[in-house]
Amino acid sequence: MIVPIALLGGGALVAFAVRKQVHLAGPLSAAALAAAIWWTISSPQEKSEVLGLQLRLSPLAQLGGAMLLSSLFILVLAVWLDEPAYNFFPTALAAGAAVTAVLTLTSPIAIYAVLLLALLVPVGSFTFQVTRNRSVEAAYRHFSFVALGGSLGIAALALAGSLPRDQPAGTFVVLIVIVVVAFALKLAAIPFHTHAALLATEVPAPALALYFGVLVPTTFIAFAEILTLSGLLPAIVQISKVQDLLLGLGTVSALGGAFLATGSTELRRVAAYSVIANLGQALVGIATLSGPGIVGAVAIALVTGAGATQQLLAAGAIERRAGADRPSAAVAPLASLAFVIGGLAMIGAPPLVAFPGHFFVELIAFSYSGSLGTALVASTLFVLIAQLRAAISIFRVAPERWRVERRPIAGISGVLVFLALLIGGVQPDGFLRPIAAFADEFIRALRPF
Amino acid sequence: MGGALVLMLLLVAVATLAANGARQLRYMALAFLGVALAAHLLTGPSVSLSQISVSAAAALVSAAVLYVAARDRRYGEDPGWRLWLATVVAASVAAAAFAFLRTTANEEVRITIIGEDPSGVTQEAGAFWLLASGVAILLTARGAVRGSLGALLMLTGTQLLVQLVPGPQLAFTLLLSWLQVVVALCGAFLILNERAVREA
Repeated sequence: MIVPIALLGGGALVAFAVRKQVHLAGPLSAAALAAAIWWTISSPQEKSEVLGLQLRLSPLAQLGGAMLLSSLFILVLAVWLDEPAYNFFPTALAAGAAVTAVLTLTSPIAIYAVLLLALLVPVGSFTFQVTRNRSVEAAYRHFSFVALGGSLGIAALALAGSLPRDQPAGTFVVLIVIVVVAFALKLAAIPFHTHAALLATEVPAPALALYFGVLVPTTFIAFAEILTLSGLLPAIVQISKVQDLLLGLGTVSALGGAFLATGSTELRRVAAYSVIANLGQALVGIATLSGPGIVGAVAIALVTGAGATQQLLAAGAIERRAGADRPSAAVAPLASLAFVIGGLAMIGAPPLVAFPGHFFVELIAFSYSGSLGTALVASTLFVLIAQLRAAISIFRVAPERWRVERRPIAGISGVLVFLALLIGGVQPDGFLRPIAAFADEFIRALRPF
Repeated sequence: MGGALVLMLLLVAVATLAANGARQLRYMALAFLGVALAAHLLTGPSVSLSQISVSAAAALVSAAVLYVAARDRRYGEDPGWRLWLATVVAASVAAAAFAFLRTTANEEVRITIIGEDPSGVTQEAGAFWLLASGVAILLTARGAVRGSLGALLMLTGTQLLVQLVPGPQLAFTLLLSWLQVVVALCGAFLILNERAVREA
């Protein structure tokens, strides 16, 4: 698995060198990502070793790698053909290399360190026209949250790995709580979402899509992997307080994100808060420490990433064409269509492959407690209302005034993502089986003996 | 030097205070280099030469990146009251973390001012101090100048803790060193942009 990582990492360096020649950097980046996707899908599931670090191409790594790198591929195409931003290409390739490494590494500390690299790399693409907006402040807040959460998280993992096992229970509680809060900071879970709220309004749409569509789902999968590999899960089972913390954090994030999405009038904010709400649901799924909960959680994270890429690209295309006016379908009907169908993925509507994840998590939440299940259903309903409001606001103009965009990249890519999610929904086995294999590992790590 | 770990710990503390109290980014970068080098000496003979070379090179590059980002001798951020708050918070949090997270109750630890420390207590104390200082500086920072310093101090503390974990240490060192350089580059990028906004 070192080949796609090296290919993307090397590609990032070359793309950085030629970044100002967009006609060169764009196709080069797209080709490198296409080759990495092909490599990830076609490679046999085997282990390799680099400097003592084991890499394993698990079924989840294959599925997640293909989905997340495909999202990156779409973003690169959109930036190359529709919204040239020269510093985006090396960022996308470096993020792709880091995402592939996160999915294939088997050492929790190494996964965490690479994840931090992935989260820090986009700082360069978050800022633009710095004297006209607050993008520098948004980028700085993101930097601070990642540095703070990342260092504390790695330190807690290192301590948990180096301390003798006969520690008092309180020690492990503190360490696990630090790891959970460190991930909440990076996942923008409510109440740790202030940096994400600022990012949603201030940074360029492709960079925002890179963050919410690729890096946030990767962070969630890294969290689940680190819990599985770190040996901390048995301590979580024994100490119910940690499970309660995860459940509380997930529920607050699911409800809070959905409320904030409902109250938003900006398309980007609706998409960003829908992601936060969905990842809150996914956190609840993990916190139930059950097979269906974990399958649902990882499925939600992956599909939400695809939906967020689709919606944020579309939102960027509509806003750019609307200029100073209110965004509407009149200026970009195909991108508007992509935004609306992306909303179907966000709410977990059948027959899309988004449905099983939401169904599993809400079902297991009801079996855990009635109020938890109700909270998650309410969260989904609020996200639905938010998405409907956004759809009505952009399609309020009569169809005869619509002008189809000249380069409908966001619209076409949105429709392609929708079709992929639809095919996945018709054949859910191919999507859910690799996640179920990971859930098996997670459950085994819960009770090692 | 490997036998004077407690003195190295003192050096880490003093260099951290110097970095925390510096008004100019260039002095801050130099003080950070002092912190990082003292922290490497704190790890003692248990760490291989290749690891020390990699992490020392990363510290040097990180300090150089911040030094260059300053562009002139005067640029920086006045810590003001934040210096005292960060110092008090760092001292109390480091002491609390050390007391709570260090060892099982039955373990007996003996260290001397000049002598080796096979128990790793000095290394952990240094790590907790750096992490607590970094958190305090990062949380009270007004901008990317002190924010970058806080992040780099935290990463240096994290490196000390990771060195105590069994596993592929050279790979961990390489990853964390890259991370340190990327943090410094991001910090420098933000510093330059903040300055551009301020001067516009």
